[in-house]
Amino acid sequence: MGNDGTRDIVKINKGPVVRTKHGTYKLDLPKDHCEILTHLIAELRDSLLNTTDNASLRRLFPTAYHNDAIKDAEYQRLMREELLASRLASIETALEVIGASNELSESEIDAFARSINSLRLVIGTTLDIAESDYGDPSIESRQSKSPETEPDEEKLIQSDLYDYLGWLLEWTVGAQSEGL
Amino acid sequence: MATASVQPSQVLEPDVDDATKSDKPWIVIVWNDPINLMSYVTFVLQKLFGYSLEKATELMLDVHHKGRAVVSNGSRERAEFDVYRLHEHGLWATMEHETL
Repeated sequence: MGNDGTRDIVKINKGPVVRTKHGTYKLDLPKDHCEILTHLIAELRDSLLNTTDNASLRRLFPTAYHNDAIKDAEYQRLMREELLASRLASIETALEVIGASNELSESEIDAFARSINSLRLVIGTTLDIAESDYGDPSIESRQSKSPETEPDEEKLIQSDLYDYLGWLLEWTVGAQSEGL
Repeated sequence: MATASVQPSQVLEPDVDDATKSDKPWIVIVWNDPINLMSYVTFVLQKLFGYSLEKATELMLDVHHKGRAVVSNGSRERAEFDVYRLHEHGLWATMEHETL
């Protein structure tokens, strides 16, 4: 498991997600962060609408019966569409609340957190994140998995996004935990 | 008029292994993965199962250090429901019959 979402992040004094005394949430992100998040989450929605069978999306639809392929096939037949619909509903809610000035309800912050985590799972899968990456947080260590290739700018960007989403999710979970 | 013929009925003997297996409860397992944040896993276990912070943290640490932890058990329907909710939250969860 990843143990820290704060590496390599420009420190911001005030958290981007705060739980109010009324039990609602305030999402306070700079405009450019909102634009990037909106773009990424919309891209994830479009990918999910096109296919759920590409390698980077497979992590969002895990096996349920790890030692029984027949039961798992039956489970997937019954539940996969429902899981997809649930993910898409969360994404739609997240797209509505990012950048909105109003306070968020419990279900809205939950949809936001699940969408951020989905995005992080997809990017982490694409980056081939492994447990050992947490011992060496440098971007170079992630690059070194393909030593024969030149540093890939796209991967550097994805690596930054992955860290950013971890940082944002850490704050979101912190705020949500206050409500438990 | 045709009369219904009486056929010898075939009695299917229950498979003892299957019968025993179906009596066993199902367990829901959360597996370690390198992407989900420890804080997020702890939070999800608290939220979905009502565990205390201490219990959820203990389970999360089992997942992290031992590779897996049993987070719930019960009927097949209950286990499938729990697995579904864990999948909704992005956790890597599966289910199997409890081994005694």
